Amino acid sequence: MASTALDAATAIVEPAGTVVAAPGFWRRVWKNKAVVGGFGWLLLIVAIALLAPWIAPYDPYAQDLANRTVPPFWYDAGSFAHPFGTDPLGRDYLSRLCYGARISLLIGASVAMISGFIGTTMGMLAGYFGGKADLAVSFIVTTRLAMPVILVALATVALLGGSLWVVIMVLGLLKWDRFAVVMRSATQQVRSLDYVAAAQAAGASTRRVLLGEVLPNVLPHLIVVATLEAASAILLEAALSFLGLGVQPPLPSWGLMISEAKTYMFFSFWLIAIPGAALALLIFGINLAGDGLRDLLAPDGPT
Amino acid sequence: MQQQKRRHAITGFIAGALLATVLAVAAPALASRKDDTIRFAYDQAPESVDPFFNNVRIGVIIGANVWDTLVYLDPNTGEYKGLLARSWKQIDDKTIEFDLREGVRFHNGEEFDADSVVYTLNYVADPGNKVVTQANVNWIDKATKLGKYKVRLTTRQVFPAAIEYLAGPVVIHPAKYYAEAGPKGQNSKPVGSGPYRVSNYLPGKSITLERNPNYFNDSPKGAARINKVEIRFIPDRQTQMAEMLSGNGDLIMYVPKDQADQAAKMPSLQVVSGETMRIAFMQLNSLDSTPTPALKDPRVRKAITHAIDRESIVKSIVGAGSRVLHSQCYPSQFGCTDQGVTRYAYDPALAKKLLAEAGFPNGFETEIFAYRERNQTEAIINYLQQVGIKATLNFSQYAAMRDQIRAGKASLTHQTWGSFSVNDVSASIPVWFGGESDDITKDKQVQELLTRGNTSVDPNVRKQSYQQALKRIADNAFAVPLWTLPVYYVASKELSFKAYPDEMVRLWEMTWK
Amino acid sequence: MGGYIFKRLGLALAVAVAVSMIAFLLLRLSGDPAIAIAGEGARAADIELVRKTYGFDRPLPVQYVDWLGKTLRGDLGESIYFKQPAAPLILAKLQVTMVLALWSIVFALAISLPLGVLAALYRNSLIDRICLALAVFGQALPNFFFALLLIMLFSITLHWLPVSGSDSWRHFVMPTIALGYYAAPAFMRLLRAGMIEVMDADYIRTARAKGLPARTVVFKHALRNAVVPVVALAAVQLGFLLGGSVVIETIFALDGLGYLAYQSITFKDFPVMQNIVLLLSVIYVVLTLASDVANAWLDPRIRVR
Repeated sequence: MASTALDAATAIVEPAGTVVAAPGFWRRVWKNKAVVGGFGWLLLIVAIALLAPWIAPYDPYAQDLANRTVPPFWYDAGSFAHPFGTDPLGRDYLSRLCYGARISLLIGASVAMISGFIGTTMGMLAGYFGGKADLAVSFIVTTRLAMPVILVALATVALLGGSLWVVIMVLGLLKWDRFAVVMRSATQQVRSLDYVAAAQAAGASTRRVLLGEVLPNVLPHLIVVATLEAASAILLEAALSFLGLGVQPPLPSWGLMISEAKTYMFFSFWLIAIPGAALALLIFGINLAGDGLRDLLAPDGPT
Repeated sequence: MQQQKRRHAITGFIAGALLATVLAVAAPALASRKDDTIRFAYDQAPESVDPFFNNVRIGVIIGANVWDTLVYLDPNTGEYKGLLARSWKQIDDKTIEFDLREGVRFHNGEEFDADSVVYTLNYVADPGNKVVTQANVNWIDKATKLGKYKVRLTTRQVFPAAIEYLAGPVVIHPAKYYAEAGPKGQNSKPVGSGPYRVSNYLPGKSITLERNPNYFNDSPKGAARINKVEIRFIPDRQTQMAEMLSGNGDLIMYVPKDQADQAAKMPSLQVVSGETMRIAFMQLNSLDSTPTPALKDPRVRKAITHAIDRESIVKSIVGAGSRVLHSQCYPSQFGCTDQGVTRYAYDPALAKKLLAEAGFPNGFETEIFAYRERNQTEAIINYLQQVGIKATLNFSQYAAMRDQIRAGKASLTHQTWGSFSVNDVSASIPVWFGGESDDITKDKQVQELLTRGNTSVDPNVRKQSYQQALKRIADNAFAVPLWTLPVYYVASKELSFKAYPDEMVRLWEMTWK
Repeated sequence: MGGYIFKRLGLALAVAVAVSMIAFLLLRLSGDPAIAIAGEGARAADIELVRKTYGFDRPLPVQYVDWLGKTLRGDLGESIYFKQPAAPLILAKLQVTMVLALWSIVFALAISLPLGVLAALYRNSLIDRICLALAVFGQALPNFFFALLLIMLFSITLHWLPVSGSDSWRHFVMPTIALGYYAAPAFMRLLRAGMIEVMDADYIRTARAKGLPARTVVFKHALRNAVVPVVALAAVQLGFLLGGSVVIETIFALDGLGYLAYQSITFKDFPVMQNIVLLLSVIYVVLTLASDVANAWLDPRIRVR
């Protein structure tokens, strides 16, 4: 009996088991350009993040006050000594970008996992048991949605100080709502499936049914939501940095780099454009992959 | 069909609501030299326009332009001139008598005389009235009227800086109006006697000042030249710069150095900069309860001072006009000196040696609090890192940081202090070493020396006591003096003005080129 | 219909109370209100006095109930920072934010409806991906970056629009775009999905088989039905935008509710902050309720659930 508005916020959800089990699924995955493109791009960024210590030319924390704000190589004043230039404290921008990928991906992944865990648990319980459980979860979700995020973030940082783990915790504890809503719908659909009924009839414990039958079927939807929430979390980190509530310098997170480069935006545009573009491309990639996945799970599949 | 009608109804409703919102907003904008208006943008709106009830620089600026004080400190000659007072005389240690100027009127027509001085001073001296910065007024004992244009002022203790404060934050309100309307009234409809008067005030959005045509002729401030000033509150610094770049603004202040350097290249803009009285320094918590016990050892504190290349930071990051300090006070303040104090050169090798002697060959971990000029803090952290001291940054709002310091949770702080532009060392050093809640050193000897300096009227005794206090602070490296901070103003090329170290924007002096 | 509304109302009330309790707790935990009120330079004795005067030494539940009681009676207290009554202060700023939020939704719909329709009609093709990219564009950049980019383009370079302030309708154009673009992808995806579902349905196939032109089919039938959940979402998004406009209001110097919320937390202005949270959560649940009711009214099938 959750709010129909919340229902409306979910796209169509289909028991994924039938889709994944259908023949030709993996062939369709490869043919789906969106999924391939999006995930491929994502993997490239993950690779850069993992290989950062080897590809980054300098230590991302090493300051060089004699070489502040040097522009990238495509400007007259720039050179290949610092291909992407240096920041206002003389730190090499390319190196910070590579290491920053780690922080942004870490934030995205951690937040997706934490909020995914919380939201999925709630959604599955609500969808499977219905009745009072459903009512309770619906109440909690609506309460969460009615709370202004900024207030929670500000209050938490005031209490605990700003740091990477506080940011991840705050975002993880706030972003589970979409998971709960989608997982609830998915679970409701799956609940009525034949083999779930069979497992129940066979006397399997609730836990086994949930983990063994329901979860595998709703997993693909979980992944779709996770990709989108990860993207959103990475962006929110930038907004938090803008308000002074994000990670502390000198951590090279893309969000903080963008927020600090804001001061130089009108005169050294590349300082904000480079991490901004990197972030935007990451978000596009994640969105592309997520949407491609969602299409794969649609009843008719791609044309 | 039913459904369709319902859908149309909803659409109509929404459309109507939207139309209503469009009609709710409308109005014109302004230009600048043509309209004889300075468009001045500032980030934070004051919580109240009454100068006694706000704590922001723009409040102080508006205070000086819209109100007058008894005395005026000429920024060019350094002498005190009579403003609302014609002359004054120190009667004894704690008493001053003022002869007031005649023929001055407040903006609402009310006449200025001893009643206004007496009422204002007694009102603000009463702690129950909750003036925001108590230090500005709690030295006042009481004011008594001796005649229509004669007032006697007594101070609570011997307070040599009295005239300095009467030339700065202590403005005079009209007695009748203030008695009726109080601070709330002054906030909604401000009334002063200064070269500008408030003609429009939209709280949180803008304040418009207009030239006071009846400003008294003999004022050392001088009447306003430009007719109007529109002060707009724009929280984001980049938006302020955008206004300047798009030709919609004439003056902004506190522009970061790098931005200012770039703005100087724009043909329509000029950059004016100068040193201010604001000093930067690092507090080191050497109390018994300090979170970083290493700081109790003077060798560690000296190591920290040696580890930071202050000259380099000043040259490349801080900006034009700033200089390295060896004492925590601004050189022009009475009593401030760095004669005979220990100076610490940049010497990371020596720093490492001292740390090793103190038992920290591999350095130690600590935390540094800061609330502004983050890039300077980061540079400091980097230098500390080179000698093995790993300091994590805790960057927060000023109030939050101050709370932490007072609760004893801070080890290192990157502090700044403007002394409220008061040109007397009693407005700076005692705050940090005088035994009050912001003192995280609490050295008895320093406190005694400061008390002696604060309570003597003999300038030589004062100078000597302060010099000894500063020497002891430096010799023991109780804190790390850093540098003075410059302020950068970016203005339209058509505006002519001068920047002063007291960060006071004297709008009444400005003219068009 | 009556029973449905009644149930939803009950839930709405419970949510509003829960939110106010959590907010109360969070605020108290994030700073000592006595220190905030006593102000700078206050000594321990002063702070204790403030604590007693305002009753901060009582147990938290007692304080909460007391505050709730006063609020329900209409006594919203006084702003500590601004030293004025909280209620008129909040209402004045609400006006600006309301205007901004409403127009942002309109803008979001204006972009996402055509994009959603196109994407659905040409699903899984390049056009579909491009429509998605356009919808996601405003969401792929941090909002302050996007806002400043707009300023760079429309104010500094083209001189078409003023940079900041809230004096005329022109001042609201860029904030609307910056804020509204954030809601666009959700609308677009929802509409696209809804249209795909409807277009595959039997009665549409029948209409097409009958030979009705594609455009009639699309607009008269599919769109009309697919738009129902979008209306619901719009109400929900409006609630979000009201609470999430801080960054945009800061950049464009719109003295609205978001910026007031930020200031009141920064300056520990508890009376104002608590009332803003209460107000926003009440608006949110009212909007959700209204959208549910409107939905049910427009589509009787929903009521039966």
